[in-house]
Amino acid sequence: MRFVPLAAAGLAVLTLAACTAGKEGGPALGSQSKPSGTAPTALPAASIELWHGFSADSEVKAFTDAIAGFNQKYPQIKVKLVKGVQDEQITQAVRGGRPPDVASSFTTDSVATWCKSGVFQDLNPVIKQDGVDLSGLPPVVNDYTQYEGKRCVMPLLTDAYGLYYNKALMKGKQPPKTLSELTKLAKELTVRNPDGTIKVAGFIPSGQYYENTAGHWGAMVGAKWTNPDGTSAIGSDPAWKTLLNWQKELVDWYGYANLDKFRKSLGDEFSGKHPFYQGKVAMGIDGEWRVAMIANEAPKLDYGTAPMPVDDAKPDLYGSGFTAGTVIGVPKGAKNPEAAWALVKYLTTDTDALVTLANAIRNVPTTKAALESPALKKDEHFQTFLDIFANPKTSTIPAHVNSVFNQEALQGFITSWEKGSVKDLDAGLKGVDKTIDAKFKLSGG
Amino acid sequence: MAGVPLRRREGFRALLWLSPWLVGFGVFFAYPLLATVYFSFFNYDLFSLKFNGLANYRYFMQDERAWLSIRNTAWLVVVMVPAQVLFALGVAQLVTKLKSGVGFFRTLFYLPSLVPVTAGTVAFVFLLNPATGPVNRILSLVGISGPDWFGDKDWSKPGLTLLAMWSVGNIMVIFLAALLDVPRHLYEAAAIDGAGAWRQFRSITLPTIRPVLMFSAVTGVIYTLQYFTQAMIASRVAAGVTDAPGTSFVPGYPEMSTLTLPQWLFQTGFRDYAMGYACVLALVLFAASMAFTLILLRQFRGFEEVAE
Amino acid sequence: MTATLVAPPTRAAGRRARERRGRTRRMLYWIATHATAVALGIAFIGPLVFVLLTAVMSDNQTLTDELWPHSWNWGNFGEVFAKSPILLWLRNTMIYAVAGTLFTLVSSIPVAYALARFRFPGRRLAFLLVITMMMLPPQVVAVPIYLIWARLDLTGTLLPLILPMLLGDAFSIFLLRQFLLSIPREYTDAARVDGCTDFRTLIRVILPMARPGIAAVALFQFFYCWNDYYGPLLYAATNVDSWTLSVGLASFKALHSVQWNLTMAATLLVMAPVIIVFFFAQKVFIEGVTLTGVKG
Repeated sequence: MRFVPLAAAGLAVLTLAACTAGKEGGPALGSQSKPSGTAPTALPAASIELWHGFSADSEVKAFTDAIAGFNQKYPQIKVKLVKGVQDEQITQAVRGGRPPDVASSFTTDSVATWCKSGVFQDLNPVIKQDGVDLSGLPPVVNDYTQYEGKRCVMPLLTDAYGLYYNKALMKGKQPPKTLSELTKLAKELTVRNPDGTIKVAGFIPSGQYYENTAGHWGAMVGAKWTNPDGTSAIGSDPAWKTLLNWQKELVDWYGYANLDKFRKSLGDEFSGKHPFYQGKVAMGIDGEWRVAMIANEAPKLDYGTAPMPVDDAKPDLYGSGFTAGTVIGVPKGAKNPEAAWALVKYLTTDTDALVTLANAIRNVPTTKAALESPALKKDEHFQTFLDIFANPKTSTIPAHVNSVFNQEALQGFITSWEKGSVKDLDAGLKGVDKTIDAKFKLSGG
Repeated sequence: MAGVPLRRREGFRALLWLSPWLVGFGVFFAYPLLATVYFSFFNYDLFSLKFNGLANYRYFMQDERAWLSIRNTAWLVVVMVPAQVLFALGVAQLVTKLKSGVGFFRTLFYLPSLVPVTAGTVAFVFLLNPATGPVNRILSLVGISGPDWFGDKDWSKPGLTLLAMWSVGNIMVIFLAALLDVPRHLYEAAAIDGAGAWRQFRSITLPTIRPVLMFSAVTGVIYTLQYFTQAMIASRVAAGVTDAPGTSFVPGYPEMSTLTLPQWLFQTGFRDYAMGYACVLALVLFAASMAFTLILLRQFRGFEEVAE
Repeated sequence: MTATLVAPPTRAAGRRARERRGRTRRMLYWIATHATAVALGIAFIGPLVFVLLTAVMSDNQTLTDELWPHSWNWGNFGEVFAKSPILLWLRNTMIYAVAGTLFTLVSSIPVAYALARFRFPGRRLAFLLVITMMMLPPQVVAVPIYLIWARLDLTGTLLPLILPMLLGDAFSIFLLRQFLLSIPREYTDAARVDGCTDFRTLIRVILPMARPGIAAVALFQFFYCWNDYYGPLLYAATNVDSWTLSVGLASFKALHSVQWNLTMAATLLVMAPVIIVFFFAQKVFIEGVTLTGVKG
């Protein structure tokens, strides 16, 4: 009865909706011809919104300071900052048609998807138009900011990962250079309570602990994520097996349940109660940004930094590490793309801006000029990470349209593995391959 | 006045009164259902729409996490719903037996069901936290070493079941009303007959409240098929570390044990933007909930016939 | 179920002893039932008590498994306001809940009235469709509906959740219809004879008599919106300005890098309004819930 005409009407709407694409909220970058003079004041007044992932107080403040520098140059552009934004929020906002003018992400995980699907605008036209020189970018940075010829984000700052150790707990011992040294030292430095529970952990080998992600760990053994054709290399690269066997041995030495209970009693990663500050953990993998946080939250901590320990069979990897950067770009549909690009350009190429941010957050700046700037404050810890960043063997997770999905698949597997729910490691890793490849096929890869 | 024209006139008037809802029915029910079927044959990421035939369905057949999420949802239907119904019935039965403080206890037992789901779930994750939570601490006082609840794949669903039982107040109140509706004199007569408590319950209480019991069980199943918020938040808060900005969140922590079908649908559709595939999952969910809705509809249709 | 009303023959001798035994048994029974009720009561209220105790603990103490706070840090509640935009979340939640409730009432009462009072072909089918809609998991139709709102450029706001309520809410329609059916037909027939139009009958006769039902529906809808997590997560999560209490609370601990004490303080703040409203409107609630359980 009434259902029939309704269904017909529904079908009619359907064909309309079928060709839905995220609609254009604003003009695309580079589509408008620019006034010849590119003086800052030539841009019309605007207010723009910038989303970023920083949430620690000191980082938020540094970002606000950098914007203040921008406003001296462009007083007519008001910038509203939104903190603590995650990738999925950015993607969803753009697809839903409510993008910010500028968005920044902590990770490079989504770059491939963003470039491929056009969530972020291709910056190449305006880079050419404004004559921005990108030859100063290190190759690994160049790689993670573009995909299939589209440069949809600019590198803002870079993170490099290494080993942090508590000097008081180390009692004069040198930081480990290989995984077997790490295991040995971790066991020595661990202190247990009379009832067998952990009081101080030498090293927490759980993949569920803070910065212990598959991505960061992969650099220790030089593990490969994908083959050139985009399929998974996890099951066929023996490095992953080396890594996971090393991990399992140490987890079992603690006892999974014991370790898990200890882990759950620890303070939050981004708070002043971080277990490393409190001397509850002797060694840990962390990013260079931890240096600034320690300076703010635990200034009395006596600690050291070093490159991550590496696979015993690949000693030449020592000195390298994992790197991935904060990226920033202009989403599709931004309401004021020209003002947005002005801000992105300022933040990513202005040496003063980069150095200000790098000094405050203690992230590695991405341009050569900023790296060599005398204003860049260097100390022994920061130098460790500058060296890791500069090491030619330092790696990143390659851009992949399903990068996040792939990492989740492996991370989920590691969680089962460390717990002991996986009987056959080879078959398990092959299973991860299968999951990743099927998904890759589905997404038209 | 002849009956038929009157009815016809009433029909037009009814149509007028019903029109807003009819629009809502079309826009938010009929159209989306058809569109879901349509999109399930496409590769769709909100930007580009590409026909890919049965690829989404084929992917579903071998998507381990989809099947895992279906198994988890089934677990909840098989364990959590009966646990809720039986517990609510037990509590309601207890309240009817009380000689004093009935109102007080009824309020007390009902109260948790009003606590916002998010708040209740966050609270339970804390209460059951093995390192700092009070539950395991209290268990250890009596010599029991408590499990890791939301950190252990074998205990996370039981943890959610506890949460569900804690907020069972709605069903409890419904049962209580039904139990109080059972005519007193039936019990008195049975007591004189020498029937014990259990016999009274089985031969008087149960048959009388059977329709209410059925209704609660079936709606309980349908709501459990939609189970999303508690599982999502429990895994989110329990995982803790994976929620930092920049890292994406994987539902189902620990080890996919709390991943329900609606969550996997949400994740693939609105986090991964595999919307065509999400539509396949939506159809699976629709088929399951429709099967139970039909049971409900039969019950209502029966009643209508008696009433008119 | 058929019970004989013939009392078993009793002998006078031993009757008193049995009565005494009976009294002791009744006493024990009383103690047993009430003890069980008290134990259950503690189990039901315990979680809330522990939430409160933890909410006032110091940062350091929340990292231990001690149960009782060493010091009562009431300032933790102030801290929640300082650390998170909880007032903004509260405002958004209020907008969603108040507008959602009003819209639902305005749109659902007429529909329920028509379903309960008019006789027309397809009436039963319409009612069955209401139930079907009520039981449809919201995730089933999420993708196409999301597309509609994305096209209208309304994602990132709460409007995709509020506006549909102008077109009737299935659960509210169902509940109101159940309630309206219980109003005897004679009243409306009398109004009809007096020459009232449908509209006047609704306003003058039905509404005043249906007040308890309407109150229950309003409360349910208000609480539904207040507690809703899925909807705001889907539509408003991308825009921090549109976050509601439930979305904010779910990522509170991680986003604001805080310990359990502040998280529990925030949890309590989210619970408090609901519990306060409940104590004022308890009767309406219990009656309303009872209504949802009736067989049809």
